[in-house]
Amino acid sequence: MTMKKTFSDTDLHMALDGEMPPERMAEFNRWLDENPDEKARFQQFAEDRKSLKDALDPVAGEPVPSRLSAIRSTNDNSSGGFRSWMAAAAVVLFVAGGAVGYLAGTQPGEAPNEASLLADNAIAAHVIYAAEKRHTVEVGANEKDHLVAWLSKRVGLSLVAPNLEQYGFSLVGGRLLPSGERAAAQFMYENQNGDRISLYVTTVDSKGETGFQLVEERGARAFYWLDHGYACAVTGSLEEDELLKLSRDAYRQLVSSDDW
Amino acid sequence: MKDRQKAILAEIPRLRRYARSLMRDSDRADDLVQDSLERAFRRMENWQTGENPRRWLFTIMHNIFIDTVRKEQRRGEVIPISEMDGSQVKSGAEQHEKLVARDVLDALQQIDPDRRAALTLVAVEGFSYAEAAGILDVPAGTLMSRIARGRDELRNLLGDPGRSRTIRVVE
Repeated sequence: MTMKKTFSDTDLHMALDGEMPPERMAEFNRWLDENPDEKARFQQFAEDRKSLKDALDPVAGEPVPSRLSAIRSTNDNSSGGFRSWMAAAAVVLFVAGGAVGYLAGTQPGEAPNEASLLADNAIAAHVIYAAEKRHTVEVGANEKDHLVAWLSKRVGLSLVAPNLEQYGFSLVGGRLLPSGERAAAQFMYENQNGDRISLYVTTVDSKGETGFQLVEERGARAFYWLDHGYACAVTGSLEEDELLKLSRDAYRQLVSSDDW
Repeated sequence: MKDRQKAILAEIPRLRRYARSLMRDSDRADDLVQDSLERAFRRMENWQTGENPRRWLFTIMHNIFIDTVRKEQRRGEVIPISEMDGSQVKSGAEQHEKLVARDVLDALQQIDPDRRAALTLVAVEGFSYAEAAGILDVPAGTLMSRIARGRDELRNLLGDPGRSRTIRVVE
């Protein structure tokens, strides 16, 4: 066994990390064979390197949480896809029929303003609280009855927290929010990937109906609608058709709960 | 603009993996990714044409990570070094694999943050020494000594008989 160390520690790490020129590798391996201690050390490091990579690699294969995939450049205004989708959505809603009274009774010039203000508020509240880790809601789903009773009283509507389990979303809880001079309720839901959607409900002056309208801003996507004095928005970063389906279902559950 | 956005979003899985090596808690790791993406989008004009988005984004993330570490050191905040995963009991081999993974990730959190970053950039993220030195903004010699010391530190932690005994008992 030769004691002459012809390779340094630096060489050893370079060999581990693929930084050693290929022409030196054969010589390096020969040196390892002649120095069992160094070889054991090299193999141990190689094993640690593999354990580390194996432990972390699965993270790259996980589905990306929507709070990350939804982040967009603030000065990106391109929305071609969105507009063409709106046309398709209008057709779908028209075919879907009277449940939402699409276009019927909409008062041009009045309802849209109030509605878009609603959408802004709902999206802002969603963006802020859906990204919140520890204080997402004021009252958790474990106190659901109290939550619903409290928000109903404050908002002035008989509310329910719609069941969205069939879409994979469970209730996290809710909070009370200001909406102009009135109060709004926000129910937050989460699926197993940690994606969140929120339902925002408040009262409005307008007695018109708008049908479902889609708006996308700040990386969030919302369907909102006004209906005879109340206003709702469902916000999240689901695919549009999934979000629409879920919105319609949430709406159905809200109105069937009571005679609004 | 759209292409750049797409290129940035395509890096998210790798950014999440790197963040998880820096911070064990997955929520905090994703917070780090979120902060990095937001900064990247705010500073899109700093991204030079032709520059690899991966290196650019990792540089941004590293800077935010270092700021976070410094702030926490000043505040004396406790960094959670271990989180039990609540996964079901699997087959023996699978369970052993999980334990090894948990052990190595726990140990990684205990080594010096600069060494942790250097080691994972090279050994997990597959950057060359030159690229990693660029991301960390240190000379190549510094990078290499961080990698060497990081590896020694990790091995000492993993080779600690107290730790390996725990593994055997849990199995």
